Amino acid sequence: MNVITAYSEKTSYEECVKEIKEQFGSVIPKLILFFASSHINPYFISDEIQNAFPKTPTFGCTTAGELISGKMLKNSLVAMAFTENVIEDFKAVVITNLPKTTSKNYQQAGDIFEKHFGKKFSEMDLKKYVGIVLADGLSKSEEKMMEEIGMLSNVLFIGGSAGDDLKFENTYVYGVGKAYTNAAILILLKPAAGFDIIKTQSFRETGKILTATSVDEKNRTVIDFDGKPAAEAYAEVFGASEETASQLFMTNPLGLMVDDEPYVRSPQQIQDKNMVFYCNIKEGMELSILESGDIIHDTQNALDDKINEMGEIAALINFNCILRTLELDNKNLSGEYGQIFSGIPTIGFSTYGEQYIGHINQTATILAFKAKQD
Amino acid sequence: MAGKIKQTIDLIIKEKSMGDETIARLTRAKLIMMGINPHKYDIQSQDDPMIITKLLQAAKDFGLSIK
Repeated sequence: MNVITAYSEKTSYEECVKEIKEQFGSVIPKLILFFASSHINPYFISDEIQNAFPKTPTFGCTTAGELISGKMLKNSLVAMAFTENVIEDFKAVVITNLPKTTSKNYQQAGDIFEKHFGKKFSEMDLKKYVGIVLADGLSKSEEKMMEEIGMLSNVLFIGGSAGDDLKFENTYVYGVGKAYTNAAILILLKPAAGFDIIKTQSFRETGKILTATSVDEKNRTVIDFDGKPAAEAYAEVFGASEETASQLFMTNPLGLMVDDEPYVRSPQQIQDKNMVFYCNIKEGMELSILESGDIIHDTQNALDDKINEMGEIAALINFNCILRTLELDNKNLSGEYGQIFSGIPTIGFSTYGEQYIGHINQTATILAFKAKQD
Repeated sequence: MAGKIKQTIDLIIKEKSMGDETIARLTRAKLIMMGINPHKYDIQSQDDPMIITKLLQAAKDFGLSIK
């Protein structure tokens, strides 16, 4: 046995956990990951699920929608139990008070990883280790966190920012029975038989570029593009008015290009001619204006390519941007998206931002595991 | 003066990757995320003290000793 997936759509947290426990059966997993709708009380669920599996550390977060093999769900709890065939070893660290963290906090996390694995964090082989990061989705701290981790190690951390079903009030991450807000969970994994990462988004370059010439980085705001008020410069590209420019946000975000691959920056709103984004943009960054493609087609292709590369995939964790979920919902394609993952044990959630090298938007970052043979 | 930015970027990538192309690509991506696009600079690029300071800080944060 490699992994077991389970889900519950019950309304009480006790019943949710009872259903999950029934589906997991008598297996004592190495690690359990779970993603829960924010409608389920965060403090009760974190405690209840850990009590239900006292011999297995449990980690997770709140969501803006959940994903399980073959289905996209709302108001549910999804969970995956990993056996030693998939995860040989792991160590988790909780980073608290996220907006006020300094380099020292991440160095301490690195030291904990080093002590556990007996290997310097800076020297760990990125082909043998991989990290999962679950972060408070309203902390606006993910960019700094990813930069700090990236400075300390070559190991890739992928993950998502916790959601709260579009209420934008509080998001939580869960670690071994506790619920934390303004926090992140870093889980460094040593997979048993290999892993790979899928980063997929459905946008193409238009050939048009905007350069951020004045920014308020902390507030994820661009004041000027190319020396003009940001909203005016963005609208001008499309021959649109500033009043109607926000209607283009979903289909025409901006992309920071890395090796011809966009790292998407999604606009959120216009405020006094400034453009507020869902992740930060630094002064001087050149950003490609993107146009949207077909999420279903592109995700299926990305998964098929990875299956061809890896051979059999034992499990997937899918961190899928809430903006993709909203687009799929609007186009009545959520069922079809869920079906892409029907053949592989999968869990995931709709995120308030995705993590891969940095903090990105309108993307699915997916961790794919291989398994040792029984 | 020109060329120092490219020279520093190349040195960071060389020291960080130790010849591993995957790590070299990853380091380039991290620099782009920090707002320094290695592809924008060549040996003719004017030495911008702000960018050079930023690069030297990045090198330090990467744990490299570059002067």
